[in-house]
Amino acid sequence: MLLAATEYVRPASVEEALDALRANAGARVLAGGQTLINVLKHRAASVALLVDVSRLAELRFIDVRGDGSATIGAATTYAELERSAELRAAQPVIGEVAAGTVDRQVRARGTIGGNACFADAASNYPPLLVALDASMEIAGPGGRRSVPAAEFFLGLYRTAVEPGELLAAITLPPLSGAGVGYRSLQIAADSWALARAVAWVRGSATIEAARVVLGCVAGTPVRAAATEALLVGGPASAEAVSAAAAVAGEGLEPPSDVHASAGYRREMAAVMAKRALLDAIGGATHSQTTTRGGG
Amino acid sequence: MATEGAVHAIDVTVNGTSHTLAVPARRLLVHFIRETLGLRGTHIGCDTGNCGACSVICDGQLIKSCMMLAVQADGCEIETIESLGEGMDGLDPIQEAFKEHHGLQCGYCTPGIVLNAKTLLAENPHPTEAEIRRALKGNICRCTGYVNIIRSIEAAAGAQGEVTR
Amino acid sequence: MSTPTGETTYYPEVEQSERLGAWSGKSVPRKEDKRLLKGQGAFVDDLWMHRQGHVHFVRSPYAHARIVSIDVSRAEAVPGVYATLTGEEVGVLQQPFFQMAPEPAGLMKDYCMAVGKARYMGEPVACVLAESAELARDAGALVEVVYEPLEVVVDGIATIEAQAPVLHEEIGSNVAWHGLYDFGDVDWALEHADHVVRIDRLHFHRFSSTPLETTGALVNWDPGTGVVEFRSNNQMPMFAAMFIGPAIGLGIDHMQFSSQDIGGGFGIKITSYTYLTALALLSRKAGRPVKWSESRWEHLAASAHGNERTFLDIEVPVMSDGTILGFKVRAFDDAGAYLRYEPLGAVIWSQVVPGNYRFKHVRVDYTETLTNKCPVGPNRGYSRLQHLWLIERIVDIVAKELNFDRVALRKLNYVQPEEFPYETPNGCVYDSGDYPAMLDLALELIDHDAWRERQLASAGSGKRIGIGIGSTLDSGTNNFGQSRIINSALPFSGNGEAAVVRLDLYGEVTVTIGTSPQGQGHETTAAQVTADILGCSPDQVHVVAGYNKAANTYVGFSGTYASQFAVTGLGAVMGAAERLRGEIVKVGACMLGAEESDIELADGFVRLAANPEAAIPFIGIAATVFANVAELPGELADSVTLNCRYVYRPPFTVPDHETKRGKLTLTYASQVHAAVVEVDDETGQVTILDYAAVDECGRKVNPKIVEGQVHGATGHGIGAALYETFEYDGDGQLLNATFGDYHAATSLDVPHIRTGEIECPSPFTPNGAKGMGEGGGAPLSTIASAIEDALPVGAHIVYDTHNNSERVHELLRSAAQAGPRGVEVISR
Repeated sequence: MLLAATEYVRPASVEEALDALRANAGARVLAGGQTLINVLKHRAASVALLVDVSRLAELRFIDVRGDGSATIGAATTYAELERSAELRAAQPVIGEVAAGTVDRQVRARGTIGGNACFADAASNYPPLLVALDASMEIAGPGGRRSVPAAEFFLGLYRTAVEPGELLAAITLPPLSGAGVGYRSLQIAADSWALARAVAWVRGSATIEAARVVLGCVAGTPVRAAATEALLVGGPASAEAVSAAAAVAGEGLEPPSDVHASAGYRREMAAVMAKRALLDAIGGATHSQTTTRGGG
Repeated sequence: MATEGAVHAIDVTVNGTSHTLAVPARRLLVHFIRETLGLRGTHIGCDTGNCGACSVICDGQLIKSCMMLAVQADGCEIETIESLGEGMDGLDPIQEAFKEHHGLQCGYCTPGIVLNAKTLLAENPHPTEAEIRRALKGNICRCTGYVNIIRSIEAAAGAQGEVTR
Repeated sequence: MSTPTGETTYYPEVEQSERLGAWSGKSVPRKEDKRLLKGQGAFVDDLWMHRQGHVHFVRSPYAHARIVSIDVSRAEAVPGVYATLTGEEVGVLQQPFFQMAPEPAGLMKDYCMAVGKARYMGEPVACVLAESAELARDAGALVEVVYEPLEVVVDGIATIEAQAPVLHEEIGSNVAWHGLYDFGDVDWALEHADHVVRIDRLHFHRFSSTPLETTGALVNWDPGTGVVEFRSNNQMPMFAAMFIGPAIGLGIDHMQFSSQDIGGGFGIKITSYTYLTALALLSRKAGRPVKWSESRWEHLAASAHGNERTFLDIEVPVMSDGTILGFKVRAFDDAGAYLRYEPLGAVIWSQVVPGNYRFKHVRVDYTETLTNKCPVGPNRGYSRLQHLWLIERIVDIVAKELNFDRVALRKLNYVQPEEFPYETPNGCVYDSGDYPAMLDLALELIDHDAWRERQLASAGSGKRIGIGIGSTLDSGTNNFGQSRIINSALPFSGNGEAAVVRLDLYGEVTVTIGTSPQGQGHETTAAQVTADILGCSPDQVHVVAGYNKAANTYVGFSGTYASQFAVTGLGAVMGAAERLRGEIVKVGACMLGAEESDIELADGFVRLAANPEAAIPFIGIAATVFANVAELPGELADSVTLNCRYVYRPPFTVPDHETKRGKLTLTYASQVHAAVVEVDDETGQVTILDYAAVDECGRKVNPKIVEGQVHGATGHGIGAALYETFEYDGDGQLLNATFGDYHAATSLDVPHIRTGEIECPSPFTPNGAKGMGEGGGAPLSTIASAIEDALPVGAHIVYDTHNNSERVHELLRSAAQAGPRGVEVISR
């Protein structure tokens, strides 16, 4: 509960933040702190310098464009995402996921960038960002570079952000009529997820394209490729979805821990995949999405 | 042995009073409130930011003060439970509602819960039961089973409706 | 003892006070609330003493390990570190704690920190005192402990097998206690019955009420007076004193205990005397006050857990009409690494041998065992919870297997309202109750029939609806003589609580009690009954907040635990108030020149009943006695002090340790719950759709406070049933020692709780009330019952108190699998 001694700086710009990160090997970005402060309390990591970016306007914005694409600053809080009517209209699931994150105190300070960069197997955003084919904009000494979400998550707690860099923004392509479903099975309401699936589907009677991304099953979000292959080109029917989702868990080795066994996680991944797909298909013509706590 | 490290001067307004104080980087806001400022109404119930006993209002938003560093409160306006009700004895309408409806037992979660109610009713003056439950999710109570807490907040909302603003 | 009608009376007749009524029975708002609502409460971490140091405990990361060496030199070298204390020193500085267990378990050497060996993950092995909490924590990391890990045992039954590693060499095994409880003739019943239902295994899991405020203390061993002051949130201070005193060689008269506000106790803050001992020794060594605040992970790993109990080889004889004759079972209670309050749990369950039912033949082969886990403490519902859950499972399973309606089966077997007072097979006396009426009310509250229809309609929808019932008892006011059933040499029996009601110098009505409330509203209810007896209002009664050994009165069993305050605490207050009343009347009569029978007390005045204008306020009475006493006749002046103490003593005798029979608790509150759950067929996730709790606790002093306790106990039970469990791995590592992983139920998890009540006054208490705070754990049975009702035909029985979604998922799938269902029926 008591942190080890550490240093703190609050840079006035992204440039200054990058300078601080570059100059200190043990520096970490501090945004909302809703994860990092727990890490520090448990002394699970040793951080020599906290670089507080939480107030940088450069990192805290929601820009929704006419075509429905959106760019979100990495330090934008869940509360800001939840409240943005514009964002909800263009990219409903982002705000819905924010609204269901933990509790209102956490939502007041926690950020989408912090969630993505923490990259826990049960983190809310990584599987969604992969399913939406988001672009992750990373700021570094050489300027900005974009990494597709699918290449951003490298392993448990590891992302493409290198030392001396920070995640600056996340860009979401327009939905353009695609339906998105997001389903989680949690140990309790709005709490740790045991299984999570996100489905992005284009097409109404026939499935033209589909991305099915599983969380909680591995160190990174996992594309359920076999499920996708069975779906694309086929009918957008409950039977087809059931059959395709049934194979979603194959070949996976999810973790076993105090909350659930590997076998249960594997089975539930398939159930969540099915439900997320049904939600997505249901909304394909209306861009309606559903985030459900209880699955 | 790690040294304490540099201290940082922060300007923070707490319950309407401005303070300029030096704090080490590692000091959590909750310890700053309790130990440095001596305001004991904000409580600590866990070590992982799950219980909400440390909840305070920061720039109008309910936050967990154990999940924020004191240095991050520089320039902020903090309200703790001590800011409610007039003087040493006065109870504000939310506190009155809790007293009338037995919304507390041991009282340990109560400051955080009352501040939660205050911010909830400020943004949603007539919440449904579901909305109240949602709002309370981050505040654990082990004594009441939440039933009378919800009744108290509903009553406070009802009473609020009677006040012309 | 028989009455002229030939009925047996169980206790001497108790005069029920006729004066209760103006305030008792009303939901008077609480006196405690103002300060708690304004953040003005004084909890232990709010306290501060000049020169104090902060304490950090260094703890064993191993569940079982020999402590090879402890090197504190690097820690002590840090500027600002005042002192350290190690287990090695403790082994010399204290005598092992008194053990309640008989030998060989009683030979266990239990110290305030690990001496020579650590026996559970998180056991303290050393502590550091420093000028700040941060420094103590940092310096603690510099304490070097060398361990030699030993083999670990976590299974509460396997631990008694020959190959299991022994925790305490002095004992020679991991058996803490064993005894056979055998009432009636269960062998005859099993032979005679039309059916025998055999249940392989039921398991009551390990969880805790986890009060929101953790353990803490500010302890000062004053070198000048030799008095140790404990400002702590221990909830049974005199019990603590009885352990601490002999351990550190201090008379209890040299110990002071105080607390004002405690953030929940639920029994978990009873066994903290071990930490208080360590803090006392550290304070003496350092010559400073020492302050300790337990962190949440320390609380979860190393304060106390609730008892974990496994029931094996259950056999239930049942007649064809549904009469359940009783049952036999082998019970194994896993106490963790040390005994502390145990093995009292091995007898306390027997306060409710047949549960709510008329079973006559019960055999329990009870073994208490030791494992490398956190020691248990008397968690809310202590030891009865486990047994009552077993019984409700038995009743539900018998109903299902033999095709009886669960409601009808219960009503057939319940103790009937006209049978009270009811003597159970081991001689306990249930004072009053009406279980059938409560069951009807619970079912009505959830609109049972409508849910049955919805249940049928939901078939095939993927969401299964289940309706559950749970009956339970909350036995209150213990006879500590039951400890002799565990160990006949223990010098304990009866019970008691003390109170003083006095007029202060200006006539202020002041009450002090030996209790240590943690939210139960003692200040308010004590004021209510005092106001009734003295004819004033509760606002005119000052109840001293909290526990204070020096300022308040106390007896050996003083504290707040075991669902007894309404009887023992208020019984003591009532007795003291009556004594004071008598004195006030005497003085008033003298001052008014009247007979005592002419005097009434009303509105805070002493006055002539015939002429209320002739009135003296209490200040007048006090002023005369304290400052103007020459005006009173000498005999009268000698006989009044206006400072009246009373010890309430429940009418217990010593139970018979040979037959294990006796009157073990005075009152029996009860609760019946009904719940509707929805089970997701694919995931096993359980959602509670409706919940009702009906309670009966005799005459309620403050109905809102009682209802609050029902809500809270229900919240705890629902939390344990669906969300809360302590899980250890094979190395004895507690896997969920944070509130992130040990999921305490939130406002989204606990549903709205409909409540109903009936009142069956206890004939055995001075106010007709029954203690009721623990609740009895009805949600544990109710939710198990509801889940089982939702399962498909052929599924395995619900066998555990904890049913997370994965376990329910397994139960759902079990129907399609050919395996054993956990139950078999043998019929004649």
